[in-house]
Amino acid sequence: MGVKFHFDESDNGVTTLAIHGEMDMSSSPEVRDRLTSLFKTNRRAIIVDLSKVAYIDSSGIATLVEGLQWSHASKNKFRLAGLSPAVRDVFEIARLLSIFETFASKEEAMEGV
Amino acid sequence: MRQPVKIAIPSDPKYLCLTRSVLQQLLSLHEAPEDMARKIVLCVDEACSNIIKYGYGGRCEDPIEISFEIENDTFTVKIRDYGKQCDAGKIKPRKLDEVKPGGLGTFFINEIMDTVHYCTKREKGTLLTMTKKLRQGAAASGIKN
Repeated sequence: MGVKFHFDESDNGVTTLAIHGEMDMSSSPEVRDRLTSLFKTNRRAIIVDLSKVAYIDSSGIATLVEGLQWSHASKNKFRLAGLSPAVRDVFEIARLLSIFETFASKEEAMEGV
Repeated sequence: MRQPVKIAIPSDPKYLCLTRSVLQQLLSLHEAPEDMARKIVLCVDEACSNIIKYGYGGRCEDPIEISFEIENDTFTVKIRDYGKQCDAGKIKPRKLDEVKPGGLGTFFINEIMDTVHYCTKREKGTLLTMTKKLRQGAAASGIKN
C-alpha cells in the first residue's frame, strides 16, 4: 500500500507533514525517515496531519512517539491533527491520547504554535 | 461458517495489508461491529508483524499461514509460522507508564483478544491461536470490548 507525504512549511517555523495511506510495519520506517529529517531542521513546530491515514499499528504509534520525544528534548512542539476514529481508537487503546497534543484539523493545530 | 478462510503470505511487511483486507471483508460479511472489526484486524496485524520481526528475524521469504473461523459469534484466528520459537512466558507487553517507542503490539493483543495461546509443541515455529467474541454482551464475561 505504502504512504505518500505532503509537506507544507510556513514562514513562522511550522512544518506540516500530511501522511496519506496506512501506517504499518511496511510504511512506518519511511514515515520515521521523513520525521527524522524534519527533526534535524529544528523547526519550531511539526504538525502531523493524519486525516488521510486510514490505519495505524504499533509501529506507526512508535514512530509518532519518537516525535513526542523530539519535542520534549528540543522544546519544540509536535502536534497531531485530524485523527480518524480508527486511528483515535488505537491511541486510546495504547492510552496515549492524553500524552499527545491532538487537534481536529491541521488548521486548529496551527493555532497558538 | 463450516470451513475456515485461509491465507498464506510471505513474511514481507508489504503483504500485511493483504491479510488486513481479507480479514476486514470477512468480518464485514459476518456483520461484526465496525469498532470490534478494527480491533481484531489490529491484533492479527500485530501478531504477523511480531512473527516477521522476531520469529523470522526480518527475513521476507518465509511463510506465515493464517486461518480465520467464525462460529457461534466467536472469531478464531490461527497463525502458524516456522521461525524461531517464542517463549510464551517471556512475552510481556510494554508497561503503560513507559511512553517510549515499541512494545505495544503485544499489549494490544492482550488487551483486546479474549484468549491468546502460543503453542510451540512442534519441531519448528509457533502456532498462535486467538479468539474474540464479536459482540458485546454475547460473551459470558463481557469484560473486554
